[in-house]
Amino acid sequence: MLEAIKNMLVMVELELRRLRHDRTEIYFRAVQPILWIVVFGPVMGSVRAIPTGGVPYTDFITPGVMIQTTTFVSIFYGLMMVWERDSGILKKLLVTPASRYSTVIGRSMASGVRSVFQALIILPIALVIGVKFVPNAAYFILAFALIFLSSGGFAAISIFAASFMKTRERFMGIGQAIIMPLFFASNALYPVQMMPPILREFSAVNPLSYVVDAVRGLIITGNLSNLLIDTAAIAVFDLLMFAIASVSFKRIIE
Amino acid sequence: MPFAVEVKGLVKVYNHTVRALDGVDLNVEAGKAFALLGPNGAGKTTLMRILTTQLKPTAGEAYVFGLNAAREGSKVRRLISYVPQEMSVWTDISGYENLLVYAKIFNVPRSERQATINDVLESMGLSTVKDELAGKYSGGMVRRLEIACAMLIKPKVMFLDEPTIGLDPAARKTVWEKLGVFKKEYGVTIFFNTHYMDEADLYADDIAIINQGKIITRGTSEELKHSLGGEIITFTLESNAQTPTLRDTLKSMRFVRDIFLDNSNLSMSVDDAESALPYVMNTLKNEGISARKVSITKPTLDDVFLKYVGTRLEEKGRISEVTHMRYMIRKG
Repeated sequence: MLEAIKNMLVMVELELRRLRHDRTEIYFRAVQPILWIVVFGPVMGSVRAIPTGGVPYTDFITPGVMIQTTTFVSIFYGLMMVWERDSGILKKLLVTPASRYSTVIGRSMASGVRSVFQALIILPIALVIGVKFVPNAAYFILAFALIFLSSGGFAAISIFAASFMKTRERFMGIGQAIIMPLFFASNALYPVQMMPPILREFSAVNPLSYVVDAVRGLIITGNLSNLLIDTAAIAVFDLLMFAIASVSFKRIIE
Repeated sequence: MPFAVEVKGLVKVYNHTVRALDGVDLNVEAGKAFALLGPNGAGKTTLMRILTTQLKPTAGEAYVFGLNAAREGSKVRRLISYVPQEMSVWTDISGYENLLVYAKIFNVPRSERQATINDVLESMGLSTVKDELAGKYSGGMVRRLEIACAMLIKPKVMFLDEPTIGLDPAARKTVWEKLGVFKKEYGVTIFFNTHYMDEADLYADDIAIINQGKIITRGTSEELKHSLGGEIITFTLESNAQTPTLRDTLKSMRFVRDIFLDNSNLSMSVDDAESALPYVMNTLKNEGISARKVSITKPTLDDVFLKYVGTRLEEKGRISEVTHMRYMIRKG
């Protein structure tokens, strides 16, 4: 067990080292979320059509946009695993003493490293355009911890999906097909109450909604009444996805 | 002492149709360098992937130092290291960092880590470029980094899948010399697949040829060559110098196995050319025949391969194919 945790940390370290050498991907990926909060937010906000509970619309969607980007990062992390299968990296990792599940979970958690940086980069821009954050460092740390943890779950989904895909090209399409429904059928851009009943039910099992809810409570509204439920939901989601990814990992190898 | 590798009746069928391995039996002694030769699709890589616990066999058993590769995978993985045929380094971190990550995964103690890494970098001639991104390495440097990685621990068995593919002859020689030292120093068993006949010939203590999922023949390089029957003496004769009795006279000599005559060339297969030559020369002289040229050739491993597999190994096409694939992977 101790060894498994150590292996996971090595995977996280690997990701940090990669980021230290090359961060261009993070900058490019930041373009889309910045457009959401700089253009989409103010424009939609001026319509005043969406009940946000007294929070300015741009402030309301900032956590949603952050989570959407980090989800992208995590999901496409699975793409990298497919790439690693085509190369010999995965084969070599599998022949080390590290257990298979610690490799799977470790790689998934490593996507959290990227996610945290991806989310961080949005903060200064949000501040510049006047988003008001809860001035509490502990809340921020907790919010980013949750982003880190949930990323692992999303990366595990993509490992699961990647196990069915034999080529990278196919996976690009699948990546979009996973992310967009999760994003639009969540509370990222509008409160769940506004959705048709079917979507509302989907949102209740949509992990993205729980992450957005928790982060929004922590850094925008300061309302922590759902935090426990949200955290529990994220934990259950992670465990479930790790289990599924570990099992389906066998297909990736063969 | 158990065999380093022991395989019994191993069968692997992919997708219920492709029979990659069709009943392989094989023993490899500890501390030896063992080469597996075979054409494309013969099952070399499949066998190696089963032994390195990546794949489960359809039937049969595979053992590494007495441990079952299918059932005791985690124990086996503590004894071995592996260099896959495909590129297996992270190109977006430095060579040193690549090794550092693996040193941690392999549980190299913290106090020895740096020294061990610098050691293997040194022996693979990568010390000067250790802090550069692996993505900037040439194909040969990447391969050496991969082999360095497999040397981080002192494994009981090293599995190398086409270890020197894409390296120039000088680099291949260096790599094998280092591997030789490593093997001698730590008693490491080296199990490798290769397409280079000369490599198997020079560096393997033991060779097996595999074709269509079966081991066809097995032995040391000398034994395999010997199985083709001794040596071949070829005389280039003065034109029309043959006499009617020549063939019969020569054939009557007990050490001559076979005679081939075509135009001015006279070839004979004998057990030991050096001791046979004086007698043959004498006979020719008595017949009044003079030879312009004499050559003695020994069967090469190429000839062995030709005999057992039916085709020569298409070395060139195959190597450029793999090199290209590795190049493409490196470019992402």
